[in-house]
Amino acid sequence: MGIGSSQALDTKINAPVAIATMPAPREVKDTTERINALEVVVRYALYIVITLFLFTPFVMTVLSSFKTSAEVIAFPPTLLPSVWHPENYLNVLTQINGFPRMIFNSFFITFAAVALNLFFDSLVGYAFARLEFPYKNTLFAIMIATMVIPGFVFIVPRYILLLNAHLVNTYGALLVLYFLQPGYILLMTQFFKSIPRDLEEAAIVDGMGWFGIFWKIILPLARPALLATGILTFAGMWNGFFDWLIYMQDATMFNIQLGLTTFRSVYQNQWDLIMAGSVLAILPILLVYLVGQRYFVRGIATTGMK
Amino acid sequence: MAVSVAPQAPAATAKGSRRSKRGGMAIAERRAGLLFVTPYLIYFLILQLGALVFAFWVSFHHYDLLALDNPFVGLRNYARLPANQDFLIAMRNTTEYAVVVVILQTVFALLLAVLLDSKIKGRNFFRSTWYTPSIASSVVISMIFLYVYHPTGLLNSILGLVGIHTTEAYLESTTWALPAIMFLNIWTTAPTFMLMFLAALQDIPKEIYEASAVDGASAVRKLFSITIPLLRPIIFLVVSLGIIGTFQVFDQMFIMTSGGPLKATLSVALLIYDNLFKDTGTVGVACAEAIVLGLVIFALTLISRRVIDTRIEY
Repeated sequence: MGIGSSQALDTKINAPVAIATMPAPREVKDTTERINALEVVVRYALYIVITLFLFTPFVMTVLSSFKTSAEVIAFPPTLLPSVWHPENYLNVLTQINGFPRMIFNSFFITFAAVALNLFFDSLVGYAFARLEFPYKNTLFAIMIATMVIPGFVFIVPRYILLLNAHLVNTYGALLVLYFLQPGYILLMTQFFKSIPRDLEEAAIVDGMGWFGIFWKIILPLARPALLATGILTFAGMWNGFFDWLIYMQDATMFNIQLGLTTFRSVYQNQWDLIMAGSVLAILPILLVYLVGQRYFVRGIATTGMK
Repeated sequence: MAVSVAPQAPAATAKGSRRSKRGGMAIAERRAGLLFVTPYLIYFLILQLGALVFAFWVSFHHYDLLALDNPFVGLRNYARLPANQDFLIAMRNTTEYAVVVVILQTVFALLLAVLLDSKIKGRNFFRSTWYTPSIASSVVISMIFLYVYHPTGLLNSILGLVGIHTTEAYLESTTWALPAIMFLNIWTTAPTFMLMFLAALQDIPKEIYEASAVDGASAVRKLFSITIPLLRPIIFLVVSLGIIGTFQVFDQMFIMTSGGPLKATLSVALLIYDNLFKDTGTVGVACAEAIVLGLVIFALTLISRRVIDTRIEY
């Protein structure tokens, strides 16, 4: 069987653990529902109410980011800014000490972690999916089992470990903790299992080494799974807060999220800055989501993580 | 170990005969497999197994991050927890929080998914907008809700529009602070689980619904007698992920209320953080608390498995 379309790959996945495994959306062919006009109206009313419920805070945040601090919490409230203040965004970048550096830190760690995870998650995933080696099944079972251990159990020992390794307050702390993530190894494993073996067999005949097969033959085919892993890692790292709070002590090492939390205490509820900063903090992840929505959705449906 | 160079790798045929045919190749494969899996092995041995063992070790000691000598105290750190007022308060708050949030977010997520699982126009638009609360970070969500819950913020503005005039400071009220954070969390987490339910719903064979339509089942009846039973495995997954997440709630309390007012929003995770970084000589206690928390989560996950029962028959 050829590996022409990724569609074929998607439907072939045989997942041991995951519940919904990257299915090509089943064609919805519901002949039973006879939708009458009234039902349509009620339905759309419900959709709109839910949309308002889930989306209004974001709309108001964006609008507020152009208001003065006083107007954000003015009483009576305003919907649109009485005067638009786009300079709020400039003020966030110039008035908050080290904010550009925090944005850089966020991007740096996010991209570094994405690169590391793309490589290591797929490498390990490939070994689990395809290669025979001693204790493979045991190790795979261990990986699944340890995924459910609550993270808080690890906090103290990991902190002491990284403290003694002199990695506290360095990028190293976060890279050590996140250079691979078992959830995405699992995602990659499941994907690799769906790829037909024919191509590898041919490469073995040609005398290609296992790393060559992985790197040159398998990875190019794994684009959908790599995108899901990359995008979800991006989301997780960009949105990270707790690890930064624990491991980073100097403001020069903060990320944008941890920096935002200081607005409250240090800048005494300057709502214009808080709102503009929040918009800046959500913007990159929003763009990634809009562009890579398909993979985002699949990844979450597969791993249950974000 | 003698490593013979693989003579001529045989052309692959059936899966079963593959391994037996390749003597030397099998060794190369074992080596490659072990090499490729080494990064995870290191991660497991140090950051998981090692950390777990070390966590237990620390919990049996009077531990201080700066001290040279950390004396062994046996089970004392555990034994003192039931008499620790802060721990009891934190445990009660966290349990209350977890029960309410897990139940409501699961129901809400299922409702959202069922609504989206139809051929209605604009479905993708609704899915995208509904999911937005889940892509924002906990910090951004907390910042937005500081504004929402401000005495003259979004919530009271909206209430004012419908004639309820109040300047309640929700986060400074012992009555409202915890429910306010519960609400925020349901709002931000439900859309993630909505996606998981939606993927599972699309896997249910439509023939099942067609058969029930012949029997004249109503939409509500279909939901309870077909959809929900078939979704049991995913409901269990959502509930257990919910339990794991809610029992470790930290960010929102840390950012919005610092556990206040009067410890009304003190969570176990926040207490562990305080014991670790704010108090001195309580690192062992923090470890004991984290391990107890982990065991509680583990036990509740098992119980929820019994209750939800993941047997499934199409």
